[in-house]
Amino acid sequence: MTVKRDTAVALSFLLAFLVLSYAVVEKDVMGLSKNPLRPLGEFYLGHAFASGELTSHSPEVVTAIVWNYRGFDTLFETFVFFLAIMGTLSVLRLREGQERMVRDMERVEPHRHMDLIVRVITRLVLLMIIGISASIALHGHLTPGGGFQGGSAMAVASLLLFAVFSKFTLERRGLTLRHTLGAYAVGIAIILLTVYAPLALGGRFLQINLLPGELGLFDLDVGEYLAVSFGFLSVFLILGVSEWIFRRILRGEVR
Amino acid sequence: MSAGFLMFYSVLVLFGMMLLGIYGVVTRSNMVKKIIMLNIMGDAINMLFIIIGYRLVYPVFPPVYEGHIPFDEFLRTAVDPVPQALVLTAVVIGMAMNILLSTYAIQIYRLYGTVDVRDVAHLRREGK
Repeated sequence: MTVKRDTAVALSFLLAFLVLSYAVVEKDVMGLSKNPLRPLGEFYLGHAFASGELTSHSPEVVTAIVWNYRGFDTLFETFVFFLAIMGTLSVLRLREGQERMVRDMERVEPHRHMDLIVRVITRLVLLMIIGISASIALHGHLTPGGGFQGGSAMAVASLLLFAVFSKFTLERRGLTLRHTLGAYAVGIAIILLTVYAPLALGGRFLQINLLPGELGLFDLDVGEYLAVSFGFLSVFLILGVSEWIFRRILRGEVR
Repeated sequence: MSAGFLMFYSVLVLFGMMLLGIYGVVTRSNMVKKIIMLNIMGDAINMLFIIIGYRLVYPVFPPVYEGHIPFDEFLRTAVDPVPQALVLTAVVIGMAMNILLSTYAIQIYRLYGTVDVRDVAHLRREGK
């Protein structure tokens, strides 16, 4: 019975694939064979660095679109990101007593080291990734890059750190969940300040051309960089709690 | 012409990946596998966007104008920046959504000891 149903599903997907490929190759529904530059893209390419009223002071057209021409899209994407991070944090939320239990249990957890070669090389690579991600984000309005890209590079760096070392490496240096959430809040605050600043200068919401030069794009890139990298880092800090500790705490909660 | 053939070929492969992702989400009952297939589908869609914005001209440039070439030549050779701008945010949001889904799967596994959607539904019925 299930084999029959699976076969039917697979056959229908194969049929859909055939129809789609016929439409794309023979009927050219996506316009791939001519492949022109679309008028909207031409408008953005022509105006992003021009000296008119529609400029956005940035040779990097992608950043200009993301934060200036289609700024509302990106602002609400930032809120979607905020909701996803907050959802994760609230699912894994611990009460104050439970946090104390976690700290007590982590103190007795056996301390493990990776090999010396792995640790040294990871330290070097981490420095490089962090430098590259900062340069991607801070140069985002001049060269290819921006806040989102730099932030996700930084998230990769923190994943590597968690794989080779552990969350204790960060917490021994004094970087706890409270600090990373604070940095996340600073990033969101920079974005909101930059977005509301044109109102004080007599403009409209998100009209960042009123700010001097490319300051608006730079601020938004820095804010998004902080928000993305520290948002991911704070989630990883909670996910890095050992499984047996979490299970013991949940067992206390359920029964 | 061979470049055009490669473009059609990669678009078809991406359509295949997309359908494969939907197929996996529909037929697998393991939540982790569902999440993996959802990721494959999302990546195929993002890649499709990027391919739509690509240009089949020989010296093809990123959409960054630094005054290195005359402007009309830049317009002739630059790729379309709009799909890149759309995908850029979608990738990061996809990562965040992925973390949210994985967290739910981890928490469900901790609470119920299973990541099979049929078993989880069954447990919920018994609990009522």
